[in-house]
Amino acid sequence: MRAPRSVLKQQFLKKWMMGLQVFGSAKQSMSILERKKAIKLSADIALAATRDGRTCWSRAIIADASKDDGGKVLVQHLLSPESERLKKACTGLVMDNKRVRCKKILKRSCCIKRIRKGASKVALAKSISKRIVKRRTQVLKSLVPGGEFMDDISLIEETLDYMVSLRAQVDVMRRSLAKATEVVNGK
Amino acid sequence: MINRALLPAGGGENMLHCTDMTVLERQRARIKWQQEQQQQQFQLQQQEISYFTELADVFHQAGFHEGGLSEVVTRSVKPDPGLVDNGWNNDHVVGYGVGLPYNNGLGFELNYGAISRTSSCPPEAVAAVAAATVKGSESVVSDKISSGAGRESSKKRKVDKIQNNSKVVAEEDTRDKRIKGCAEQGESKITEKNNNKNSRNNNTNKNNNSNKENSDETSKDNSKVSEVQKPDYIHVRARRGQATDSHSLAERVRREKISERMKYLQDLVPGCDKITGKAGMLDEIINYVQSLQRQVEFLSMKLAAANPRLDFNVDNLFAKEQAFPACSINFPTIGMSSDMTNPAYLQFNPAQQQLLACCGLDMGIDPPDMALKRTTSAPVSIPETFLDSSCFTQTHPPPTWDADLQNLYNVAFDQGRQTSFQTQPFTGSIEASNLKMEM
Repeated sequence: MRAPRSVLKQQFLKKWMMGLQVFGSAKQSMSILERKKAIKLSADIALAATRDGRTCWSRAIIADASKDDGGKVLVQHLLSPESERLKKACTGLVMDNKRVRCKKILKRSCCIKRIRKGASKVALAKSISKRIVKRRTQVLKSLVPGGEFMDDISLIEETLDYMVSLRAQVDVMRRSLAKATEVVNGK
Repeated sequence: MINRALLPAGGGENMLHCTDMTVLERQRARIKWQQEQQQQQFQLQQQEISYFTELADVFHQAGFHEGGLSEVVTRSVKPDPGLVDNGWNNDHVVGYGVGLPYNNGLGFELNYGAISRTSSCPPEAVAAVAAATVKGSESVVSDKISSGAGRESSKKRKVDKIQNNSKVVAEEDTRDKRIKGCAEQGESKITEKNNNKNSRNNNTNKNNNSNKENSDETSKDNSKVSEVQKPDYIHVRARRGQATDSHSLAERVRREKISERMKYLQDLVPGCDKITGKAGMLDEIINYVQSLQRQVEFLSMKLAAANPRLDFNVDNLFAKEQAFPACSINFPTIGMSSDMTNPAYLQFNPAQQQLLACCGLDMGIDPPDMALKRTTSAPVSIPETFLDSSCFTQTHPPPTWDADLQNLYNVAFDQGRQTSFQTQPFTGSIEASNLKMEM
């Protein structure tokens, strides 16, 4: 019996290798940067694929990857064994953007009034801290893929999940690097 | 230890005032600590045995008996739909490919295996204890436990972290216990509200499910963990002396939800146990996610350099399967901190030359690689993971259970200074890494 975390890692590893094989068969010689991009792209898509479309960030990654051709091939390769509806779910993300923008305009118009009313020190400090929190939430939204479309609560949940998967990804990549360097050094 | 004096009270701004010298010192201390880690493994093995016997004694004193424990065990192995049905938890728990029931059974088995290997305790008793800890089923056991439920859960958590071989079971269980703990807290909050005389009953109709709802249900079923239906709305009572209109109530619910989630994040992000407040936490989270993303970039670059033809042999897969049980929690954080504190490492690793042009973080990767090789070649041993998880717990225990955990540590080890020695360079390096990130 395996712990859930290593199950995740093994799934990720498998899918990553699958994705890399796509590249391996494609070109003979690639520059180092192209290789790096290929590795990273397949790693990201593999990571998103392990979530099976249940989390927003994974759908966002897949949606972004499907936009250009190279990614599309990978996506189809990695996801075709699984459901078709997953791919459709990923493409539907773009529509949420408009709704979010309208919300933002509304909020901003309300907020301006509130800030001016805060005369006391406490209220001032509160408004400052609120601004800081808001700014940092914005940054976090830009970090987490697909974060702009989420409200605060789901943003934090997505961040949680994303962090865990990132950690697994880093771990797997580091191990495979160690293995690869071992092999190279052994030769 | 030097680092203790330099640990900032909290907040990212304080770290900016630390000098490079302290970073260097921290690095040296961390190296020393890493070396001592090896030596202390053996010592800890001895202590672990004594710890387990003590823990078993503690639980026996609490009034458990074999029959009750086995009952707990059987109940704990049953799936817990209450938690699985919770919308959010479902995503994450099942997302790990396993889900709670699997986790429980797994934890049980892991603990059983772990204990039988290292301790001389009667395996059944300790395994039952461990299983009870994995499930964290305070509600299942009798009323006398419920009073000390917080304490118990902290102990269980402690045992959990020591015995588990893999990071995720620990994390999963912390989160599960968080869920249970929050359910508990939610229940106590709601009962508190119910006792207030100046409260009015306000029903807010919402379609989302929350932990509070489940706690309502589960608190009623004290005898067993039963199925929970998804109600359509939440009953929220206004607390005494607070506004009772629906807007502020909804706001308060939302705020509580956010703070709940923040607590989970605090467990995940290393070095966040001292930080309270949304702004600081968000800062740490941002730094951590950024560092992880950068690591991915860096690693993929290195992999591209190492493999001229993108041919990864499939042996990796099988090697990983064996290596994963030995994976320690230290790796990501050590790697992260070493990546970030690269300049200090330049002194220690003058050898590496490759990829220097491409990325300046090249040097940073070697210590974690060395650490990786050292531990993957070492036999899969419990003391190692125990050590790692103990370091992990030292830095990441939730603030509410700090005192209890500290007590336990002091009970288990002769002097707390051993673990605290390990913690300080650890947290010191993490602080240093955050420092680097800010700069």
